[in-house]
Formats: sequence, C-alpha cells, structure tokens
Amino acid sequence: MNWTNILNFSRGPLLHVAMIIFVAGLSFRLVRVLLLGWARDRAKNKGSKLWGVIVNYLKGLFVLPFIPWVRRTFRHNELTFIAGGLFHLSLFLVLVFGTAHILVWKSLWGFGWKGLPTPILAFFSAVGIISMIVLLINRLTHPVLKMLTKFPVWINWLVVFLPMITGFIMARHLWFRYEVIFSLHLISVSLLLIWIPFGRISHFLFYFFSKTIHGAQAGKRAVTP
Amino acid sequence: MKEKTIYEHLREKGLSRRDFMKLCGTIAGMMGLEFVPPVKALGKTLGPSPEEVVAQALKTRPKVPIIWLEFQDCAGCSEAISRSSSPLLSNLVLNDIAIEYHETLMAAAGFQAEKAKEECMKKYFGKYVLVVEGSPTLDDDGIYCTVAGKSNLDLLKEAAAGAAAVIATGNCACFGGIPAARPNPTRAVGVADLIKDKPVVNIPGCPAIPEVTTGTILHFLILGQLPETDQLKRPLPFYGHTVHDHCLRRPFYEAGKFAGSFDDEGARKGYCLYRLGCKGPTTYNACAGLKWERGLSYPVQSGHPCLGCSEPHFWDGGGFYQGQSTPIIRLDRGSTATLVGVGVAAGAALAGLNAVKKSRAKKDLRKDQSGAPGSEPGSKKEG
Ligand code: HEM
Ligand code: HEM
Ligand code: SF4
Ligand code: SF4
Repeated sequence: MNWTNILNFSRGPLLHVAMIIFVAGLSFRLVRVLLLGWARDRAKNKGSKLWGVIVNYLKGLFVLPFIPWVRRTFRHNELTFIAGGLFHLSLFLVLVFGTAHILVWKSLWGFGWKGLPTPILAFFSAVGIISMIVLLINRLTHPVLKMLTKFPVWINWLVVFLPMITGFIMARHLWFRYEVIFSLHLISVSLLLIWIPFGRISHFLFYFFSKTIHGAQAGKRAVTP
Repeated sequence: MKEKTIYEHLREKGLSRRDFMKLCGTIAGMMGLEFVPPVKALGKTLGPSPEEVVAQALKTRPKVPIIWLEFQDCAGCSEAISRSSSPLLSNLVLNDIAIEYHETLMAAAGFQAEKAKEECMKKYFGKYVLVVEGSPTLDDDGIYCTVAGKSNLDLLKEAAAGAAAVIATGNCACFGGIPAARPNPTRAVGVADLIKDKPVVNIPGCPAIPEVTTGTILHFLILGQLPETDQLKRPLPFYGHTVHDHCLRRPFYEAGKFAGSFDDEGARKGYCLYRLGCKGPTTYNACAGLKWERGLSYPVQSGHPCLGCSEPHFWDGGGFYQGQSTPIIRLDRGSTATLVGVGVAAGAALAGLNAVKKSRAKKDLRKDQSGAPGSEPGSKKEG
C-alpha cells in the first residue's frame, strides 16, 4: 500500500460511501422530523407569510450578527457568540469560495464559479481554526458548559476540526507530502459526512427549516419576526 | 585480452579529451550527482568533483551491455529515447554503453535476434542491465503477450535471472500503465511485482523522460549501483519533487489565479491549470525541473494540465480534465434521487410504524380504561 493508492481510495470508494450515507441519512432525518407533525396554526392570516420568511432571513443573516448585544445568547457568553460566528463565516467562505471545493460543487451540479484569492482564503481558514480552538477551550474551562457537553459534542468538534486543519496544512504545503495530507483531508471529510446525519451538525439543515417556519408564523400574524 | 574501457572506446571513435570532460560534466549533471549520497558511498565526498568521478568510472569500466525487452506497450519510451534531442546522451547509451538486444531498434530480426540475445545473456551473465518497457501480463500464464513463441512471463524471468539490475521504464513497466487500466483485461502488473530477487528501479512516465532513463542507466554504469529511490522505487534525483513544486505557473496558484478554460483570458496570461484538471500537486516527476526537448518546455508550460503520468493508475484517477479535488466516483442525479428515496422511505416507514404503535397504545389505554375489551366496533383481538 502506498499513499498514491490510499489517495485514490479516499477520492474514490471512501468518499462515495460517505456521500451515500450523507444523502440517505439526511433525507431520513428530515422526513422523521417533518412527520413528527406540528400543531395546527389556527391564527388568522393577517399579513404575508412570505414577507415574514424574507424578513426573518434578512434579519438573521445581515442585521443581528452586527448588533449582537440585543441578543440574549450574546449577553450570556460573548466569546461563544463571536467565535461561533467567525467559525461559521470562515467555514462558509472556504467551502463555497475555495477553488478546490468549487470543483467539487461543479462535479455535482455541472457549474462552477470564481473563487476567492488564496491569501484571503488562507486568512479565513486560519480564523476558522482559531475560532474552533477558542470554542474548545471555552467548553473545557466553562464550568457549566463542561457539564453540559456530552461525548457526541466532542465528536462534533473533532470531525469538523480535522478537515479544517488538514485542509489548511494542505493548501499551504506544510510538513507533509501532498498526497499524504490530501488523503488525510479526504478521510476526515468522509468521517464528517458519515457523522452528520447521526449528530447535531445536521443543524445546518434544520436551521433553514425553523427559520422558515418561524418567519411564516410571524408573517401570518403581521408581526416582525 | 582485457576488455576495453568506455573511455578507450570513445577515444577510438574520435572523441577529444576536452569533449570527453565536457561529456563527463553533462553526465554528472544528468545523474544529479551533486545532491545524491552515492558519491559519498564511493568515499569521494571531499576529493574529486562529480565530473572527475564520472571520468574515472568511464576510464576504468568496460561497456555495460543492456538487454531491452518490450511487453504490452506502445514503444513510446523507446521512441522518446531514440528521438531525444540530447543526441550525446542517447547515443552514448544506445551505442557506446551498448544495447545488445532491443527488438524495435536492432537491425537483426527473427531467429537471428533471438540468438543474439541468448548469446549476450550467456556471455554477460550476472553483469548486464535489463531494461523493461511495457507491462508483463499474468492472465492465463501470460499468453496475451508472446515473443518468439515464449510468454512474456517466461521471457522476463529468464532475462532477469542473469541481470545485475533491472530498470523498468514507462508507467506500463512500472505499474501496469494503460494495459492495467480498468478493467485490466490481461491482468497487467509492474515488473517489480514479479521480480523480487534483483534490484529493480522504476522510471515511470508516459513516456518516461528519456534523459531520466539514460541518466539512471548511467548512474548504474558509473557508480555500480542503482540510485536511491522513494517508496515506489523511483530514483530520488528525478522523482524527489512534484511537477507542482517546480512549476513555472506556481505563483499564479499561490495567488489563486486559475485558467477557467483553455482559451480564456486566464489561459492566455499563463495562469495555473488546477481548475482544468492539473495533477501536478501529486505527481512526482522531473518534468518541471529537467523539462523536455533539452529544456525547451514541458506539458504544463505548453498549456496542458499534468495528467499524473508517473503515478500508479493515473489512467483511473478521475477524468484528465476534471479537477484533482473532485470525487473519482460521481454521485449522479439518478443515484442521488434513489438515495433520497431510500432515506425518505425508511423515515416514512418508521414514522408509520410509530403511528401504528401509538394508536394501538392509545386503544389499549382506552380498553384498559373502559374495562370492556372488544367493545369498540371493528377492533381486533390480539393474541
Ligand atoms: C469532498 C469534499 C472535499 C474535498 C474534495 C476537499 C478538497 C480540498 C483540497 C484539494 C484542498 C486544498 C486546495 C489547495 O491545495 O489549494 C482543500 C482545502 C481546504 N479544505 Fe477541503 N475538501 C473537501 C471538504 C472539506 C470540508 C467539509 C471542510 C471543512 C469542514 C474542508 C476544509 C478545508 C479547508 C479549511 C481548506 C484550506 C483552504 C485554504 O486555506 O485555502 N474541506 N480541500
Ligand atoms: C446554514 C448553516 C448553519 C447555521 C445557520 C448554523 C448555526 C449554528 C448555531 C446557531 C450554532 C450555535 C448553537 C449551538 O451551539 O447548537 C451552531 C453551532 C455549531 N455549528 Fe453550525 N450552523 C450552520 C452550518 C454548520 C456546518 C455546515 C457545520 C459543520 C460542518 C457547523 C458546525 C457547528 C459546530 C461544530 C457548532 C458548535 C460550536 C460550539 O462548539 O459552540 N455548522 N451552528
Ligand atoms: S499548473 Fe499544475 S503543477 Fe503548475 S502550479 Fe498549477 S496545479 Fe501546480
Ligand atoms: S507534466 Fe505530468 S503528465 Fe505530463 S509528462 Fe510530466 S508528469 Fe507526465
């Protein structure tokens, strides 16, 4: 076994199986939640559901992140809020505007787009990694959080951190031969994909779900979400 | 009579001393002698310069006979050598170090050629270098590639038995190459998979860079041993770096400037070819350093992404024009839809099961409360 073969295996069958589990598992999770059903909303329609949804997203993405102090979560723990926010921002930029990742999207959907310059990506992946370390230290030292953090949460952290750190090392060509770190990146990505349907990282799916429902409910009542 | 040394042979052919020293310098450069440890192995670290090491070897060593076998291949590696634009080196290897047997290049043919080979193998037993081009094939005892009525497996074993060293040239001989591409109909393998009791060195490429093959042969000639190799038995002086490491488009890669197609603005400006499928980052070969055609250019410089031709199974590593980061096995729309269907069906089935359970539990509850079993119309009794 040599690293070229390991890379071909991780780019091939391993990633394939991981994607299969990811797609089938997430569909399963989503249906399970949908079929739980929710209480009939008997309020009369006074406004626009669509408008409520739009306002809810705009506020969540473009307003609240910049005036975080109005939020209880922020006042509760500024550090978690800022580090968490920076982590998600970095993750988004790297996954959507990193050239290597754009090629993955292109292979799935048939079209690509322009990436960000590498130095900017490098900056954000570093920010993402540091934020994750801050979040970890916070969890390890905060007396209440530590108690709340159960085993699966540590796994959540690990399976996200590993692709971040291996990706960063690979893109900077540090320490490892490229095919070695590339294989490690793909093995950790596969791990993440396999873990997502079983753990709480699937929140990225349910986020849109809850944001939409809440927006619609508020819109119906003609109140600002 | 004592065997003529290479130097004597060259002088006889009219090479001047000055040209001889120049040649030695070229050879030393070709072998990458400046940065490989074997010079130390000779105990000459402080003494003579690399050229002098070469000169001394050529003055004391006799010609090394080479037997060159071809199996499943396109003869591209031989083509590359015979047409390489470093005539000095290829001539040296082809004529002056002496290739005794090479089906494609030798004048003799048929039984005559076979006889020449047998005589050479007998005369130089234990001394000759065996160069193999093309992949040996295992299926059905190797009958899918036969020469003069013998299967390639027999030919290889027979020739390797008396070889001092074996050099596999081209991806086919090293790793099976194109004949081994899925589904590998003849079960082609690399030479090193079969020959375990001799030193084997791999010079992969498609074709192998001629200067690298000749350089490695010269290395054996001059230092009496094969160069140091990596995990895949590739000589480190030539395969120590990736194409990407020395690529002249590298600054564009670092800046994140990529050509998006073969004729866009980026391509004209010489941007990095990563998006067009370049495999340079994982491909160990001397292309970017040594270049082809005496340093004229190499594929990436000329505008084509690296195919990864010096790596095992490069033919099956995803599309040549598909980015290196893309999954090799694609999840197409059909299978995605199927998977979603499976997930949804499983979720729905489970939900249905739960609903049934719940309604049963409810019923049971009601039964318990009313204390009158079977009072509800249509309810079934359970065992
Ligand atoms: C199929 C999935 C993926 C593939 C094929 C892939 C491939 C790659 C490749 C080839 C690079 C290096 C690009 C270069 O050399 O310039 C890279 C960088 C990176 N990847 Fe991934 N990746 C995948 C998924 C992920 C995921 C899920 C994460 C995070 C959770 C991630 C995080 C990163 C990071 C942080 C970098 C460094 C970017 C930079 O600093 O420029 N990757 N990825
Ligand atoms: C639309 C996309 C996403 C949204 C809106 C979102 C939102 C959030 C929110 C609100 C939290 C904090 C609440 C909590 O701790 O449970 C959180 C935490 C977290 N998210 Fe996301 N997320 C998204 C995507 C992702 C993705 C794709 C990943 C990983 C691949 C990820 C990884 C995490 C992790 C590891 C935490 C825990 C951080 C900690 O230790 O405090 N998120 N996310
Ligand atoms: S063209 Fe290929 S080898 Fe050159 S820098 Fe870009 S990815 Fe690397
Ligand atoms: S650039 Fe790549 S594919 Fe082309 S000859 Fe060199 S190693 Fe082979």
